[in-house]
Amino acid sequence: MSEPSPDPRELRLNAALDGELDDDSARALEQELAADPALAADYRRLEAARDAVRRHGRLGPAPRGLMDRVLALAADAVTADAPPTVVPLAPRPLAPRQRLAWREAAPIAAGFAALGFAAGLGLTALRPPDASRAVADALVADYARAAIAGRPFDVASSDRHTVKPWLAGRTTVSADIVDLAAQGFPLAGGRVAVVDRVPAPTLVYRHAEHMIAVTELPAGTAGAAAKAALTTVDGYHVARWGDADLAYVAVSDMDERGLEAFVAAWRDVRATAPVGAAPGGAPGGAKE
Amino acid sequence: MTGARPQGGAQFGAQVGAQVSALAAARFRALVPPLLDDAYSLARWLARDGDDAEDIVQEAAVRALRALETTVVERPKPWFLAIVRNAALTWMARNRAESLAFAGGLDDLDGLSPADGGDAPADPEATLIAAEEGRRLRRALASLPPSFLEIVVMRDVNGLSYRDIAEAAGLPIGTVMSRLSRARGVLAQLMRAAP
Repeated sequence: MSEPSPDPRELRLNAALDGELDDDSARALEQELAADPALAADYRRLEAARDAVRRHGRLGPAPRGLMDRVLALAADAVTADAPPTVVPLAPRPLAPRQRLAWREAAPIAAGFAALGFAAGLGLTALRPPDASRAVADALVADYARAAIAGRPFDVASSDRHTVKPWLAGRTTVSADIVDLAAQGFPLAGGRVAVVDRVPAPTLVYRHAEHMIAVTELPAGTAGAAAKAALTTVDGYHVARWGDADLAYVAVSDMDERGLEAFVAAWRDVRATAPVGAAPGGAPGGAKE
Repeated sequence: MTGARPQGGAQFGAQVGAQVSALAAARFRALVPPLLDDAYSLARWLARDGDDAEDIVQEAAVRALRALETTVVERPKPWFLAIVRNAALTWMARNRAESLAFAGGLDDLDGLSPADGGDAPADPEATLIAAEEGRRLRRALASLPPSFLEIVVMRDVNGLSYRDIAEAAGLPIGTVMSRLSRARGVLAQLMRAAP
């Protein structure tokens, strides 16, 4: 196939198929298509080719081993990182803080990472084939989308008295806002995740450059037990726990120990101070 | 797929060689994992081999991690796929200097089941037809010259815009459009022709 001299007619049809025409041109073309059966036939022919590639052109998904090795590239930096301790962190600029040794044997690192993950938590199947898995998948997708869009939250505030009413206006359950600033996990904001087509309040906490998104769901939906359970989905760590009324799912890019520490802190604070009820709670104030 | 060969990109030198900050690693973890399926599909079309595609994506991931040390990425998908494409070209130059790029690999493609299946038809006959369509499409795609194939894959498999493809491939948008247009015309013809 030599470099073609493009047929402007086909270029235009393709641009329309690819959503690359501006509104006026797209409307004009629509009218032409309605009036010109030959043009419309060409359009459908190209559309069929495009659709066939969309349907059958994907050669995936990426093998699990590849995902593991790629994650190990970053996990290396993480495992060498100090485990987050549950103490207040001084604010610090987002700057490279630590140079970490790099291992070359990514597959080996992946193996160790998986091992450490399973051993550290005493946990469970990595991919339980149940409804809770679907919930975890949905929330991980939500987390990844938010991270990639650069909008980890829809309302940015470290003040729970700002976040709570914002969420209350958009979801059916009233969000539990647990204040973990004193534990080193300041509130960063809130957003609404959609699980099973129902909006669910989600709080976003920070720990250094990591984000932890905690979504509150009706009990039973998340497969949550009294004991927190950790899994990993697409490289993100997911913790699930719950009580009689509500289930919670936390998704984070922190390593599993960090997430475990977060969940422990969360449950600790929640147990000692029922949140949202305290009438005179100082905004953003720590317990005790 | 090729059989016994060193796993893990050993021959593609997945040495990071440098150290990387926790911040870069955090950016990497947020950005790259969700893009691996797209990256793998692209690499696999370019390399025509699953194992090679894994090596290429792994090398691309190493490059991405290094780049994230100094880069804040606004649009991760075109950014990472451009790295994958370049890693694939490097890989081909290094490992396939003799054999023509894109030689063979068709049997490999035929063995693939479609990765989608979201709208897989329920009745067996329709399933058969869809499988046949998939086989023909992949053969038709595989027959395109690499410079056309990559455009089609980035557009219709990866969903990149013309502008993103132009940047990733280092081409003027007009060239992207004309190659895409020509490639779709050929695909339509091949799909219509007898199996």
